[in-house]
Amino acid sequence: MVTHPETMAEHPTASWEAMPDGNVFYRRQQLYSVTGKLPNLGDYIVAGCRHGGPLALMRDNTKLVALGPATPSTAKAQIQVFSPAGEGLLVLSWDQAKIVRFGWTLDERLVILNEEGVYRLYDLQGEYIQHSLGSEAAEMGIVDARIQDNGLVALTGSLTLLEIKGWEGGRPLTLANPGLSEPPHVWGVIPPDVNISRHVEVLLSVDSTILSVDNLETVDQRISRGPFTHISPSPNGKSLALLTFSGTLWVVSTDFQRSMAEFETTTVAGAEGPIRQVEWCGNDAILVTWDSLVLLVGPFGDTLRFFHSGPTFAVTELDGIRIIGPDVCDMVQKVPSSSLSIFRPGSTSPSAILYDAWESFTQRLPKADESIRSIRPELAAAVDECIDAAGQEWEPYWQRRLLNAAKFGRGFLDLHNPTDFINMGQTLKVLNAVRYYEIGIPLTYSQYIYAGPTQLVKRLTSRNMHLLALRISSFLSLKPDAVLKHWASAKIARSKPTTTGSGKDAELSGDDEVCKLIVQKFEQMGGADVSYADIAKRAWEVGRSGLATKLLDHESRASDQVPLLLTMKEDRLALEKAVDSGDTDLVYHVLLHLHKRLTLGDFFRLIESGGAKLAAASRLLEVYAREQNREMLRDFYYSDDRRVESAVLSLEEAARISDPNSKITAVKAAHKFFSDDKDRAFEAKMMDEYSRLLTVQQQLEKESDGKVEFFGASVNETMRRCILNGMSKRADKIKADFKVPEKRFWHMKLHALTTLGDFEALDAFSKSKRSPIGYEAFVRHLVETGHTREAVLYVAKCDGHRRAEMYVLCGEWRMAGAVCKERGDKKVLEDIRRRCPNSMIARELDQIAAGMK
Amino acid sequence: MTSESDDHSISSESLIDVNLLKEIAKKALVDALNSVNGAKTLVLDPSLAGPLGLVTEVSVLKHHGVDKMFWLEPGALSSTTSNIVYLCRPLITYVKIIADHIKRHAKESRKHTYTLLLVPRVSTLVSQILEEEGVLGDVTISAYNLQFIPLAEDVISLEYDNAFKDLWVDGDETVIYDSAQALTTFQKLYGLFPRIVGKGDYAARLTTLLIRETPKSSNSSSPETLLTPSERIDSLIVLDRRVDMITPLLTQLTYEGLIDELIGIKNSSVELPASLLSPPAPIPAGPSTSSSTSNAPLTSLKKESKKKHHLTTATDPLFAELRDLNFSSVGRKLNRVARGLDENYKTNLQSKTVAQLRDFVGKLGGLQTEHQALRLHTGLSELLVPLTRTEHFNKSLEIQQNLLASYEVSAQVTAIEDMIAQGADMQTVLRLLCLASITAGGIKAKVLENIKREVLQAYGYNFLPLLLSLASPPLGILLPNPLPSSAPASLAPLKYPFTTLRKSLRLLIDDTPEALDEVENDISFVYSGYAPISVRLVQCVAQKGGVISNPAEKAVAEAAGRNRPTSQGKVQAHPIVGWRGFEDVVATIPGETIDIVQRGSGSKVPPIASLLQPGEKLTTTVVFFLGGCTYTEIAALRWVGRQNKGRKFLVVTTGIINGASIIDSIAGLGKSAGASKAAGI
Repeated sequence: MVTHPETMAEHPTASWEAMPDGNVFYRRQQLYSVTGKLPNLGDYIVAGCRHGGPLALMRDNTKLVALGPATPSTAKAQIQVFSPAGEGLLVLSWDQAKIVRFGWTLDERLVILNEEGVYRLYDLQGEYIQHSLGSEAAEMGIVDARIQDNGLVALTGSLTLLEIKGWEGGRPLTLANPGLSEPPHVWGVIPPDVNISRHVEVLLSVDSTILSVDNLETVDQRISRGPFTHISPSPNGKSLALLTFSGTLWVVSTDFQRSMAEFETTTVAGAEGPIRQVEWCGNDAILVTWDSLVLLVGPFGDTLRFFHSGPTFAVTELDGIRIIGPDVCDMVQKVPSSSLSIFRPGSTSPSAILYDAWESFTQRLPKADESIRSIRPELAAAVDECIDAAGQEWEPYWQRRLLNAAKFGRGFLDLHNPTDFINMGQTLKVLNAVRYYEIGIPLTYSQYIYAGPTQLVKRLTSRNMHLLALRISSFLSLKPDAVLKHWASAKIARSKPTTTGSGKDAELSGDDEVCKLIVQKFEQMGGADVSYADIAKRAWEVGRSGLATKLLDHESRASDQVPLLLTMKEDRLALEKAVDSGDTDLVYHVLLHLHKRLTLGDFFRLIESGGAKLAAASRLLEVYAREQNREMLRDFYYSDDRRVESAVLSLEEAARISDPNSKITAVKAAHKFFSDDKDRAFEAKMMDEYSRLLTVQQQLEKESDGKVEFFGASVNETMRRCILNGMSKRADKIKADFKVPEKRFWHMKLHALTTLGDFEALDAFSKSKRSPIGYEAFVRHLVETGHTREAVLYVAKCDGHRRAEMYVLCGEWRMAGAVCKERGDKKVLEDIRRRCPNSMIARELDQIAAGMK
Repeated sequence: MTSESDDHSISSESLIDVNLLKEIAKKALVDALNSVNGAKTLVLDPSLAGPLGLVTEVSVLKHHGVDKMFWLEPGALSSTTSNIVYLCRPLITYVKIIADHIKRHAKESRKHTYTLLLVPRVSTLVSQILEEEGVLGDVTISAYNLQFIPLAEDVISLEYDNAFKDLWVDGDETVIYDSAQALTTFQKLYGLFPRIVGKGDYAARLTTLLIRETPKSSNSSSPETLLTPSERIDSLIVLDRRVDMITPLLTQLTYEGLIDELIGIKNSSVELPASLLSPPAPIPAGPSTSSSTSNAPLTSLKKESKKKHHLTTATDPLFAELRDLNFSSVGRKLNRVARGLDENYKTNLQSKTVAQLRDFVGKLGGLQTEHQALRLHTGLSELLVPLTRTEHFNKSLEIQQNLLASYEVSAQVTAIEDMIAQGADMQTVLRLLCLASITAGGIKAKVLENIKREVLQAYGYNFLPLLLSLASPPLGILLPNPLPSSAPASLAPLKYPFTTLRKSLRLLIDDTPEALDEVENDISFVYSGYAPISVRLVQCVAQKGGVISNPAEKAVAEAAGRNRPTSQGKVQAHPIVGWRGFEDVVATIPGETIDIVQRGSGSKVPPIASLLQPGEKLTTTVVFFLGGCTYTEIAALRWVGRQNKGRKFLVVTTGIINGASIIDSIAGLGKSAGASKAAGI
């Protein structure tokens, strides 16, 4: 990729020029030869992108120009984009309202703002996103703007300032009103990231002073030297270069407290015509350009002159300034310290000696060893400096020489971390590749380190240079995902919907082919994390729905698949994928979306026809509807003949209703549903009993004048409340009506009467017939509730062999003993004797035992 | 229990430190609160109060700007701060309450900023409902990702109350997704589970989701831990609750289990009479034995004001010794501790020299803590004893034991019917009925219909949906036998092969009860002679010998021969090889069987630890219960962990359950968390 024969590369110092004082060196590195590739920059409005980015040109309509074949014949605005090597990248025709300003974002997108406040962000393929400054801005009109890396400031027709932060289409913020009555002579912006306050600051030249405006206030800087024709903040935001109408260049700190330098431009020999640009070269020199003269003004008013054959355009870079003239594209910068230290004539720095030693070594001169020995203590630093200097050189020839010198020095070191050396080698390989004129990104080492390799890969990708981007990615072990994604999108956009054949089949096979191609590429390149959904979306956007579906099949994240499937109206598939993902929230997302979009009938049919696959969705819909939309749930069950569920739903409603009649109606409805299903006879019968019970309870409440609450209680509870409230007869009636088994009835009545403390009634009850639950239950229950005395009465009725135990339960030890005697049960007696609580009882039991013999 | 002490020393180095999870949860909460600037009113979902109490304290909330706290419940909300922060699970009812609050405030033209923190993640459903209610624009919605909460040093839980019902009644699989997310977080912290073994349809679903979450290639941005199998964990065993429905239906007989059954433990806290918790008033003359406890404590229990107590071994080392004991041996243990404590006091009082005295004073604090703990647990046992003496309790135990032995099944059903007549708890009755149905393969249709009618008449017809839920797939634990021809086809394969399992998994132990009291020689101690199937299944994977015969038993026998029990008799735990040896048995249980090896996609060479002899390795086996687990299962797993060297268990669950809580949740009888207006944790 190296164009020049290496031997022809001039010595680095050939491009150096010393400032008149002889201590500071600047170098003018020719990057590209652009003769004849660019139109006359004097006729154009130009915007340059930093970091070795492209130039955008628009005809300056205020200038007269001869009509010719080279000029566009239409009056329509047109913007041309050229690479720094002068290659045409893009031509944009503008059909919107008048352009007020255009400029570049940090990520190499061209921003074009028109007088209606509409701005578009174009990538290098001509694809754009459009945003607006809002309707208010449109009404006032936009007269001017300053576009920075991460935002813009616009001056409206009513002379107020609007700021946009970021390029996501955020709402414009209004800055403090500077209270202008006429447009400023000139204005500039200090971007937020270099300003102390971290907010944007606008500098307006008004009358003889300067107003600085931020989002809070306007400050008059009270200067009398204005008005100015140029305002240019330095890259680090600390100083300002101002040019007065009278041609004085004045450098001052941003807070206007410190005047740093002054320079009369009118005295410059050979300067003709008006000053075109005042731009910074790094943070300590200023470049002033005329039509054919470029003047570099150093910090102490020293100057260097560079001649060009016509108008130029300068772009301030981090570490210098790029100047594009009619013939060449140059980079002007202060000579980096490492280069200076090695190559400066007469330098005796360790690195210079190291380099010299290496040169001697290659010429097999014994001096090499001697030189190395002389710098032994500083050798490590010298090696590092050689590595760094290699990064600063443009010519591969010199890069290689410097790296070789470093390698040579390394050999004399016991321990040296090779990481820097290896990284520099890798980086230079990448940089040389992208600097090649066909690629045209003249990125310096510092710029590369500043923005990072991913940014570079992104820039290549946006130029559709996928192969190079991929190679660089894999060379630097970066993830290829972003490149692959961009590639796939480009592939889809470029591939024709139909291949050579015609009709549906051909289209399908075309889709298949593209899909296969993309998937294969991804798998081959290890792009496992590329979102197929994004690519599928792209395919859908360009009208390739078949391809989109196919690509979507490869997406593993359901949450990414589903939204697109929904927009594609692939309802069933979307629902199935959502169910399959297990993410219930996603299922809800689809369900709620479909519920809104489809008719209820279609919606139900979709879910019902899904069978087992959509069962989970159906259950979730039920969960949701039970809480939020019962009407829908009723329709849903009804439409699918799900009688049991319908019945349960009615029952649930019955449970919530307090109004007696509606409750009974709901229960009856449940009954109806159950009886429609021949397998649910039992349930139907139960519901019939339920509604009968509720009716009875209604009556009971009436009978008790509403004093006793019956409604909603169970059969058992109803009977119990009857007994507790002296409605014993009614309890009997319910028992008969609901066929309550004897045992349950007896337990219930036993408990109720005990609660009531009506032991007479209990006695009568116990004698009403032979107890179906025996009498032990009586004893136990009475003891448990603390009615031991009453309990004793029932012991006699218990089975003979249990009586002794029952007496013990009642605490009647003596009686227990008596029973044992009666039954001649000595074993039980002994057992009781062992358990008895005190000696007195024990003695009595002993007596009984004695009497038993 | 003799080897207790050395177990602890091992566990401290090999067990995964679950407190990390607590710290993460705490930090996430603080971050979520700090995202809202200034003083704020916190409105809390009552069901979250318990779980939050386990990860943070009220003081922490106050420190981060929480001015006042209220329960999220219907009715007006008056707040003095302009910020209102709602913290709740994404339930529709809650969202409606919130919408109501906002609308009321708007009507009264009071201005508030509303933030809704959803646990564990934001939900489309919530924004949809807020939109339907017309207040979506007023609320900032974000998430508080509360996942696993440590309940003990070897138990972590999602603390979902309704996981069982959601899955097997409503078919709402949210909890599976959340579990998979939480397990992924777990894997991010500790590395991939090298092997996933499991049983059950929902367990299979969980496994699928979990595997899908792990990245396929090493080329991605995911953390290293998700790419390489963990060195500290040897496997994940996933069991869904449907695999063993019998266990939760039985009455738990360990100390902690019984507290849960009879008093109720919620989020590790139990409500106790205040007198038990406050420092001692003049001590009543010595903890008397149970004979003196008649009905007295029962009645006083009702009147006395109650206080929440957090049951934790962190501050209560005695509880660590008691919690997993069969309740029958708790009394003896307490007695021994009491005597030991007494000795300690006595010997120390006799200290003569100043040095001895200083030692004593130094120990005094510890003794007092121990004393207080002893008092608490003695009192707690005294509360439990009368409850275990009731007729219903014992009758229920008897029926359970008979059903497990398949002894006179129809007589047991009649006995259940009698219990209904006697007015036993609905939950107890239904537990027994379901148990009868599962163990006997269903109940005769006529008998079943009759007993269902009894249930409905005794407890209310409104329980019909509950009965229907128990009988329908995918639950199907209350079925007629034989199944009617009209029954859905999905019911037939749900039939549980209990009688064959009883034999092949050695579920019933015929030992005499005395022997059981003396030695915990099998996991069956937790149910006094019955081994929970779930834990047997874990043994099938992680302690194969323990399923067929009892290594501990043998060790004891051998030791007895040598007159000296040694803890060195412990065998090194075998490596995890899936279900090998038990494939046939496992296949008879309904539900999918899972056995997957996760190799990870990291290109790392096998870690050195894996090259070591298995004898030197300490690993943790993670057991995940999808749908909840009981305290007895935890106790049994701890027992299994003690049988071998080199393997510890970490119990992970969606929540702690018991039979009653399952029945309650299906019946929709959620216990309300507290009625007071000002909330506390």
